[in-house]
Amino acid sequence: MFVPSGESVSDLAGFTLLMPAVSVGNVGQLAIDLIISTLNMSKIGYFYTDCLVPMVGNNPYATSEENSTELSINAEVYSLPSKKLVALQLRSIFIKYKSKPFCEKLLSWVKSSNCAQVVVLSSSHSYHRNDLQLRSTPFRYLLTPSMQKSVQNKIKSLNWEEMEKSPCVPEIRDSEFCIRIPGGGITKTLYDEGCSKEIPVAVLLKFVSEGDNIPDALGLVEYLNEWLQIIKPHLQCDDPTASALPWKMPSSWRLLFGSGHPPALF
Amino acid sequence: MAATFFGEVVKAPCRAGTEDEEEEDEERTETPEDREVRRQLARKREVRLLRRQTKTSLEVSLLEKYPCSKFIIAVGNNAVAFLSSFVMNSGAWEEVGCAKLWNEWCRTTDTAHLSPAEAFCVFYHLKSNPSVFGSCPKKNVQVTVLTSRHVTDYRTSESPGSLRCPFLRALKTQTLKEPPCCPLLEQPNIVHDLPAAVLSYCQVWKLPAVLYLCYTDVMKLDLVTMEAFKPVLSSRSFKGLVKNIPQSTEILKKLVTAEEIQSNIYT
Repeated sequence: MFVPSGESVSDLAGFTLLMPAVSVGNVGQLAIDLIISTLNMSKIGYFYTDCLVPMVGNNPYATSEENSTELSINAEVYSLPSKKLVALQLRSIFIKYKSKPFCEKLLSWVKSSNCAQVVVLSSSHSYHRNDLQLRSTPFRYLLTPSMQKSVQNKIKSLNWEEMEKSPCVPEIRDSEFCIRIPGGGITKTLYDEGCSKEIPVAVLLKFVSEGDNIPDALGLVEYLNEWLQIIKPHLQCDDPTASALPWKMPSSWRLLFGSGHPPALF
Repeated sequence: MAATFFGEVVKAPCRAGTEDEEEEDEERTETPEDREVRRQLARKREVRLLRRQTKTSLEVSLLEKYPCSKFIIAVGNNAVAFLSSFVMNSGAWEEVGCAKLWNEWCRTTDTAHLSPAEAFCVFYHLKSNPSVFGSCPKKNVQVTVLTSRHVTDYRTSESPGSLRCPFLRALKTQTLKEPPCCPLLEQPNIVHDLPAAVLSYCQVWKLPAVLYLCYTDVMKLDLVTMEAFKPVLSSRSFKGLVKNIPQSTEILKKLVTAEEIQSNIYT
């Protein structure tokens, strides 16, 4: 359930909800971190649930001593009213059999807060690609029917590739075709529930392998930005001296691959 | 998928924990019998609050029966031993209940003679000052959690070998105004499991709470690790609760010796 962190409850009517699916390479979560950090979004509350493994730590977006001591938990909600954006960040994995109840609770909150649309940032195992997918862009999108009505034209103008259907049971030759997102976590469940409950949901995903997924996250936020324009698109010809990265990495991204190593090792 | 040196292709574990395909398959082929088994397993794993001696369920929540202003939880063998020696031996504490739980990893069978190293949960209540205890907190309660972790969990730009452990770190909720008696846990370190669950609850529902985390390189009962918790005795949570520190240190030493004798594999 949503619990506001301050005294007042924010009005999210008409807002776009950006959220990650806990998926391969944690790309969705890294992408949401970039968005919250770059736009300096403020925390408006918690999505308190027993469906995720509990976890706490100090403010992952700290920029100074003063703001580094705020406690953060596993599911928090941030907003930027000026752009009508609200972001949900998930920081831990689902407890077994609890992913579907979580999706149901989440979508019922989306409905009750009157969010205009939900954008799910996700990823899928790159080794599952077929030959055509190997040769094309690694980015894909999916829209629920209620979302298609409003944004189909814009998406068409961007020349994006829709996620292809694949055999439901790969081992059987004449199996039916359906949408499969291996390694996508709750992506498919959110998409299916969005379809059946008529909630406008868009899924943006990238085919990735696990490793250093920061470049994948940067790619995914740029892909999202082509559509939503949440930050000014970076045009290199404008100013050659401008930093190549308009996206700000949060301070909590240091030591992603462990502590320092003993100098005697080398 | 990952290729091994022996020419096999195996399914590599996913960092994001997505075993969704297996879960989906299970849900699709689940029979009513499977659902019933799962339901019974869930019931067996429920946490039950009982009166310790009689093993009957508590009819009302512990808080209603014993409202309190201080709630102290120790998680893990070293934290429990520290609390038993320094706090529980400095006053008359009365057992008011226990939490009975079971899951597939539980090994504790004898709950009559517990050493700090065993997995169980008992609630105590200070007879002389009934407002101090451990149970479901309300608005004016302050929560303190003590626990320990292995130092390899601690992320720092220095090499782990150069860290002087054991050392203490703290995490506190927004509503706790008192500064902790050790440095705060630096980013990007995190805490999970029960201490994180307690702190999350307190943060969300705006209760003042602090977690003292001891990073150590010895995971069994160890005197040096337990003594590393000593700075917390000067905090407001423990004010008035600790009477005789030298005596408590002796009790701590005895606990460790008892544990060492038990763990001798030749007897």
